[in-house]
Amino acid sequence: MGKVADTEPAAAFSQTAGEIGVETCFAIQRFLFVEARLLDRREYRQWLSLLTDDVTYRVLAYVNRDAEAGPLAYAVMDEQAFRLKARVEQILDGKLTHAENPPTLTRRFVSNVLVAAGERAGEYLVTSNLLVYRTRPNMPEGALYAGERTDILRRLDGALRIARREVRLDQSVLHGSMSTLF
Amino acid sequence: MQEACLSAGGWVDAAQGVVSREAFVSDDVYRLELERIFEKGWCFLAHETEIPAPGDYVVRTLGKAPVIVIRDTDGGVKAMLNSCRHRGAKLCRSEAGNARRFVCPYHGWSYERDGRLITTTFDAHMPRGMDFSQWGLIPVARVESYCGLVFGSWDADAADLARHLGDFRWYLDCFFARTPAGMQVLAPPHRWRAKANWKVGALNFIGDSQHVFTTHVGPTTLNPLRSTRAGFTKVADRSVQIITEGGHGCTLSYLAPGLGEDVYRTHDPALTAIYATMLKPEQLNALRHLRVAVGNVFPNLSFIETQAGSGEKSLILRLWHPLSGSEMEILSWVLAEKEAPEPYKAAVLDSGFHNFGVAGVFEQDDIELWASATQAADNAIARRYPYSFHTGVPLLDHPIPDYEGPGRAFRPVLAEVIQFEFMRHWDRVMTAG
Repeated sequence: MGKVADTEPAAAFSQTAGEIGVETCFAIQRFLFVEARLLDRREYRQWLSLLTDDVTYRVLAYVNRDAEAGPLAYAVMDEQAFRLKARVEQILDGKLTHAENPPTLTRRFVSNVLVAAGERAGEYLVTSNLLVYRTRPNMPEGALYAGERTDILRRLDGALRIARREVRLDQSVLHGSMSTLF
Repeated sequence: MQEACLSAGGWVDAAQGVVSREAFVSDDVYRLELERIFEKGWCFLAHETEIPAPGDYVVRTLGKAPVIVIRDTDGGVKAMLNSCRHRGAKLCRSEAGNARRFVCPYHGWSYERDGRLITTTFDAHMPRGMDFSQWGLIPVARVESYCGLVFGSWDADAADLARHLGDFRWYLDCFFARTPAGMQVLAPPHRWRAKANWKVGALNFIGDSQHVFTTHVGPTTLNPLRSTRAGFTKVADRSVQIITEGGHGCTLSYLAPGLGEDVYRTHDPALTAIYATMLKPEQLNALRHLRVAVGNVFPNLSFIETQAGSGEKSLILRLWHPLSGSEMEILSWVLAEKEAPEPYKAAVLDSGFHNFGVAGVFEQDDIELWASATQAADNAIARRYPYSFHTGVPLLDHPIPDYEGPGRAFRPVLAEVIQFEFMRHWDRVMTAG
C-alpha cells in the first residue's frame, strides 16, 4: 500500500532523443504500435512472445485522497508470465470463457512515447499514454480506459521484449468488465 | 407495486419454488429495499483494519447516503453522514485518509472526529442561545463491530448487531475470529460497477454450487490445482449448506475422498495450530478439508475462502452495494490472519486478486453472465415469467437432523435450498412494512 510514484520517470527524459538516438526511439515507438495491433487483433500468443520469461505485469488503480497525501495506487492485476499465458489460453478458447465470447472489440491508442536508458545495459525505460476503447454485446455504449504505461524493454538477441509493464489507470471505480490486457 | 408481486404481497412463491423477476430488475423494488433494508437494517461499512490509527477514515455509502467511517481519538469507530449541517457540502471529498478534525470547505464549519460541532466560524453572528450540541454531524444511529467487521444502521431502535447476526456468528468465527489477533485487510478494496442487481451477487455467494463448472469452466479447467481432470468437480458428501435466523447463510464444500491433504492441503498447518486455541472442536471440524467456503450476511456482505497456493487460504470479503434495480457497485477486500508470515500474506493477496479481484479470472465470467441476465430480464415480457429455484423445494422442510453447527443445514449442496431461503427471508422483510 505504498505511495504513488515509486519511480519518477518524467525527470529522466530529456527533450531530445539524446544518447538514445532517434532511430532507437523510433524503433521502440514502432514496437509499441505493433504490440497494440497484436492485442487489438487478438493475436495473443504472438503478443506473449514479445514478453521476457521473467516479465512482471501490473495494472494499478487509485484511491483518491487529499492533495497533501496524494493518490494511493494499488494493484488490480499483478501477474507473471505463466499467469498471463493462462489468461490468454482462457480468453482465446470460446469454450473456456464467457467474458470474451463473443470477443470484446478493442481499439488501443498508444501515444506520448518517451524513452530513456534503462538501469541495465540493453534495457530502456519507456513511458507512454494508453487509451483503450472497448465494447461488448452487453455494453454497446462502450467504455474507455486511460492510463500511463511504464515499461522496461530489453533487447534480447537483437529484438525488443517487454521485461516489465506497469499500467496506472486513471480510475478508482472500474468498469465491471476487465478481461482486457493492457 | 402490487401487480409486480407473484402472490398476495410478495415476490416469492414458496410452494412453487419461483421468484418474480421484478425482484432483480425493478427500480420500484430497489426504492422499497432502500426504505426497508438499507436505511433500516444493519449493513456493512468497513473492516476495522482499514482504519487502524486515530483519525483514519474511509468514505462509504449506507443506503444512498455518503458516510464517513472514522477511528475516533478514543479508539472507537464512528460513522456519520458526509454532509455539513450548514449547507450540505461534503466534509471528506477523498475516499480515504486521516483527519484531525473536519473543516467544511464551503463556509468553514468545523467538527471533531466524533462529529461534534466546534465552531461555525461565524459564531458571533449566531442567535443568542444557539445550541451547538444539536448541530453536530448526523451520526449513523448505530455502529457496532463483530470480529473486525463494522456495521451501521440508520435505525436507532435496531436490535443489537450481535442479535442481528445471531447464530451465524458461529460460522463468522470460523473465518474472521480464528486467531487471537483476527483478520486484516491486505490492500484497499477493489471497486467496480456491474449492471446487475445486488441480490444476484448475494445469491451467488450464499451458495450457488451449480454454477461453478459452467460459469467458471475456464479457470476450473486450466488451473491444475482445480482441474476438472483431477476430480475437483466432485465434492465430498459431507459438504453442507446452512441458513440461520435472519437470512444469513453459507455453503461449506469439502474435498472429495481420495484427494487428501497431501495433494491439496486446505489450511496452513502453522495457522491451524492457532485456530485450535480460538475455535470449538466442531468449528475446527467445519474447517477441516474445506475446499471452498462461501457465505452471505444478510443483506449484502459476502465472503469466500478458497485455495491459494499449497496451504494458503485466500479470504475475500465482498460488498454488493445497490445503485438501482439493475446496477451495483462491488467492493472486494482480501484478508489474512494478522499472525500469518508476510510471504503468506503476499501470496494470499496475489491469489485473491488474481481469482476474485476486478480482473479476476473467476470474476470476469460472473460479471458477464450477471449483466446478460439482468439485461434480458429487464423488460415487460420477461418480467411475466419468474426465476426457477425448484431444486431447493424438495429439501425446504428437511434439514439434516444431526449437523453439529447451529442453524438449519441441508445436503446436498447442489440443491438451491439456502438461495431460496435467502429470497424468502428478503421477501418477509420487504413485505413486513
